[in-house]
Amino acid sequence: MPLFFVEGQVAVGVELIGQVVSMWFKTMGYIIRGDFDKKEAWRQSYMIGVKSFTVVAITALCTGFAMSLQISRELVLFGADTAIGGVVSLALVREIGPITAGVMVAGRVGSSVAAELATMVITEQIDALKVMRVDPIRFLVVPRYIAGLTMTLVLSVYAMAIGLLAGIYIASIAANLPAATFLDSVHQTILDRDFVTHFIKSEINATIIVMFSCAIGLHTRGGAEDVGIATTRTIVWTMTLIFVFNYIVTSLTYAPR
Amino acid sequence: MAMPPMLEIVNLQKSFGNREILKGISFKVYKGEMLGLIGPSGCGKSTILKLICDLLTPDGGEVIRWSDEIGLVFQGSALLNSYTVRENLALALNQRKLKKSDENKIIDDKLKLVGLAGYADAYPSQLSGGQQKRTSFARAIVNDPKIILYDEPTTGLDPVMSTVIEDYMLELSGQLDAASIVVTHQYSTWTRCASRILLMHAGKAVWEGSAEEAVVTENPYMKQFAHATREGPMLSGLL
Repeated sequence: MPLFFVEGQVAVGVELIGQVVSMWFKTMGYIIRGDFDKKEAWRQSYMIGVKSFTVVAITALCTGFAMSLQISRELVLFGADTAIGGVVSLALVREIGPITAGVMVAGRVGSSVAAELATMVITEQIDALKVMRVDPIRFLVVPRYIAGLTMTLVLSVYAMAIGLLAGIYIASIAANLPAATFLDSVHQTILDRDFVTHFIKSEINATIIVMFSCAIGLHTRGGAEDVGIATTRTIVWTMTLIFVFNYIVTSLTYAPR
Repeated sequence: MAMPPMLEIVNLQKSFGNREILKGISFKVYKGEMLGLIGPSGCGKSTILKLICDLLTPDGGEVIRWSDEIGLVFQGSALLNSYTVRENLALALNQRKLKKSDENKIIDDKLKLVGLAGYADAYPSQLSGGQQKRTSFARAIVNDPKIILYDEPTTGLDPVMSTVIEDYMLELSGQLDAASIVVTHQYSTWTRCASRILLMHAGKAVWEGSAEEAVVTENPYMKQFAHATREGPMLSGLL
């Protein structure tokens, strides 16, 4: 019996990944042809990005405070307080920025996209689009994906900047480190490739969040209970994959040679 | 020479998993005619509409349409909540790539036809159930379809609003001269609107005739359905 359960779960997972891959190719086809609703993409950018600024700011600020406090305390003990800025910024650019923005967007946007699309399926709005010969992928997924790609990157950079400001503030209090020394250390430590990695991670996060939430939402069947299940499923899949792919990208770009 | 049908259903079969919903049903619908597709819940009526619109693929049989211009009025209206009434209708015109002024004129005409002139900028949540239903009608006819399908158009409405909706169906049917199918189990809807009735039971057609004949026939299925009694073959195996 447990084996059947595992087989069932694996089959459902494989089916979902197949739906995501197929949807991604169709979405990219529309984007490459420039065949999408620009007004809707703007609207989605507002929903995904602008409405996430506050929550991302709070999370990034608290993460920056906590991280900077820990790092300052340890490095001061070793007399390496001038390296605080470099260590804090490395963590922020390489890991914390993309992860914070990704997790917050997954929680706030991924779940609401899945719930919205699942409700549209259940209330026959998706069928209505098909009868009107409007492709739901072009109409619903493409604008969200464009908005997700743009705004997740913006939010990651924003989270990174807020985290840095928090770091500067804490370093000045806990280690009595001037902002100029902190920023000089940042300048000497951060390389261009760190920003490339930051960019790659942000875009992968956006792809995971939008594609999985849309695929789960659009393939929901049943009633109100299934909308809740779709939302939970989206959170589980996107959060897990954000951390998995974060590790994969890190291991590919920063593994010791 | 006999008039060709606008829509022909030939030996249509459909299953969901192990459950056989349609067991080879056939019928034709002609221009200007409104076919009432009636029967108990779960007998496959709405499935037929989805097969006609290509929302589902049949397991067997064929749907022959003499026009691809199809309008479908959904049971729950199925309007896009984040779009205004005008934007909902404009979506249906999307394929025609019209100038904005032409598009607005068509939309205003159709809204006027269903008594919703002045509601173009309202959102579905600002409309009553009856107004949402009429918006759904306007959206279904915005391209002047040759085939109109109504999926339980009066379900959930009060008797007065049901009468209003039935009047619109009759009016639209007369104006557009389209072939229509109305899926319903509401007595007033099929007796008032349908020019011909097809009764379904367990995925098959079990009776066909006019609304007048339906209420007097001795066919056990139709008699039980029309008089809403427990006595008859429809409940066998269900209770």
